[in-house]
Amino acid sequence: MSGHDHHAAAPELPQSAIVDDGRIATFARAIFAAGVIALGVGLYVGWKQGDPNQFAKIYLVNFMFVLALALGALVFTMIQHLTKAGWSPAVRRVAEAHGANLRWLWVLALPIVWLWWNGRSHAEGHGPGLDLLWPWANLEHLAAHDPAEAELVAKKSAYLNPDFFMIRNLAYFAIWALLANFYFGRSVHQDSTGSEADTRSMRKWAGPAIILFGVTTTFAAFDWAMSLNPAWFSTMFGVYFFCVCCTIGFSAIAVTLLRLKHLGFLNGVVTAEHMHDIGKFIFAFGVVFWAYIAFSQYMLIWYGNIPEETTWFAARQVGAWAWVSAALLFGHFVIPFVFLISRWVKRWPTLLLIGGIWMLAFGWLDVWYLVVPVIPSDIGTFDTWNAFAAAHAGATTGLGNPAIYLMLFGMFAICIGSAAKRLARVGLTCRRDPRMAESIAFENF
Amino acid sequence: MSTLTIERPTATKAHDGSTSRLWGLMAEFKTPAAIFEAAGRVRDAGYRHWDCHVPFPVHGLDKQMGVKRTIIPVIVFFAGLTGCSVGFLLQAFTNGTGAEWSFWAIVWVTGYPFLISGKPLLSIPAFVPVMFELTILLSALTTAGVMLLFNGLPRWNHPLLAKKRFLRASDDRFFIVIEARDSRFIRSKTEDFLKSLGATHVEAVED
Repeated sequence: MSGHDHHAAAPELPQSAIVDDGRIATFARAIFAAGVIALGVGLYVGWKQGDPNQFAKIYLVNFMFVLALALGALVFTMIQHLTKAGWSPAVRRVAEAHGANLRWLWVLALPIVWLWWNGRSHAEGHGPGLDLLWPWANLEHLAAHDPAEAELVAKKSAYLNPDFFMIRNLAYFAIWALLANFYFGRSVHQDSTGSEADTRSMRKWAGPAIILFGVTTTFAAFDWAMSLNPAWFSTMFGVYFFCVCCTIGFSAIAVTLLRLKHLGFLNGVVTAEHMHDIGKFIFAFGVVFWAYIAFSQYMLIWYGNIPEETTWFAARQVGAWAWVSAALLFGHFVIPFVFLISRWVKRWPTLLLIGGIWMLAFGWLDVWYLVVPVIPSDIGTFDTWNAFAAAHAGATTGLGNPAIYLMLFGMFAICIGSAAKRLARVGLTCRRDPRMAESIAFENF
Repeated sequence: MSTLTIERPTATKAHDGSTSRLWGLMAEFKTPAAIFEAAGRVRDAGYRHWDCHVPFPVHGLDKQMGVKRTIIPVIVFFAGLTGCSVGFLLQAFTNGTGAEWSFWAIVWVTGYPFLISGKPLLSIPAFVPVMFELTILLSALTTAGVMLLFNGLPRWNHPLLAKKRFLRASDDRFFIVIEARDSRFIRSKTEDFLKSLGATHVEAVED
């Protein structure tokens, strides 16, 4: 019974199941306001700590976390159209609503423009430039500080230079906003028309859209996270960030749906079958594929044992960072693998909720692990790993800083509030998708 | 529930006049709704050795029949675990030790510790790809193998295939078959029972 379009008339869904009764809108306003306040306080607290570099990194981690959430939700939507999925119209609206945050997420990236503008003047008295985070933005400074690295990085300056960086950032946000707007807008448009043309159009563009998505997230990951250590490179970094997006985005979709169902919405629309499948998505992309990619990246570098590559992992295996690495191995792979592998866990709302929140937390820790560690500049002066590890045994992760969690809650709450407001406005499901009847009746075998 | 496709209907002349043994009873239904309803009542009547044969998947029929979930996933989990451990032990033994070992005093093997790019002999990261692949290999082969085994395959013939009427199981008829080996099977009573379910036709199947 699958594999064909179903042209059955869209089922009449009870309004109380798919339309906000005011509670979601109230929640959206409250969480949005709380987010704005928390972000403001977090920014203030962070700035007052007087370490602009650490402050910028905290901001970047939290920004990449909420960005990954929206990107993961966007790619979920696009996969459904690309594969002509019949099971998912019941749950797709939640993904579209999270993804549609990409319409405005560029606002949170505006500090990059400010840094870029400052950096252009090269004059005293201006604020910090892009080299606050990205050393390649100021080669003179890097040369004075670490000539060997500067020599390597100078060879990359055709790509890693402030102006091209800005242009690329503009392109990323423009493309993402366009894609998210298209997939949210067309889907909402279909709610009023019930037209199959909307479905066809979304399917037709899904292929090119996914290619654009893949290229932009890959290069965005290179630009924002990988180029923090501009001499280091990994061709797997882009797909690693894709896994981060999947982990965070799919988990957020699961948690959102489970909360909506807990509030009494979507009864008879979203069933255990759908949650089971979203659990599979988290398991497949957030747990197994992540581990596959993370290990592949690690093993090739470990095996090759070339200093310019191994330094990145060395920085993540000294002092307290070793615990973060181990926490990711177990918390992002081993434990959720065993936990989520069983069918009944994915179908049990409370357990899947725990799994989703767990993966959100470790997804965030993963971004922290990617962005924050600094490769010690004296790393080349040690003869052995043991000597290096002993000298840097005191390396700290900085995870105790309250500004992190204020900003994290702030940005996360703003995004959740924004998505919730959207859901309250347009309804909780793609009610007139031509495959809605098929989706509601969907069963796993 | 199973879906049968019969390609060569003439290949099933099984008997040459010798005495045949009753294998079961076959009841024919005309609609998915009828067999769905009937399956629930066969389940409630307590039969265990019975099956439905339908030309296309009837959603929910498994549940209606009271088919329990397969235990294949549990078997596959342990197969995967075995693959993973074998992958590790194989490499730890061959590359990590110089131990000598004789299988059944016939095959004599020895470890071959070989230093590769200065890594420790027992380097787990290098072992992971093989451990991973063996996990997948054993899991996949076990899944396929156990699935066939549990389905009673391979088998070359089946008593039902001798029934001309049964050919329509791959076209437009729905069949419930209760096997004679079922402890509740009493030919006359079971036949009446099947008729009472609304079967349009009931006939005996011989082995």
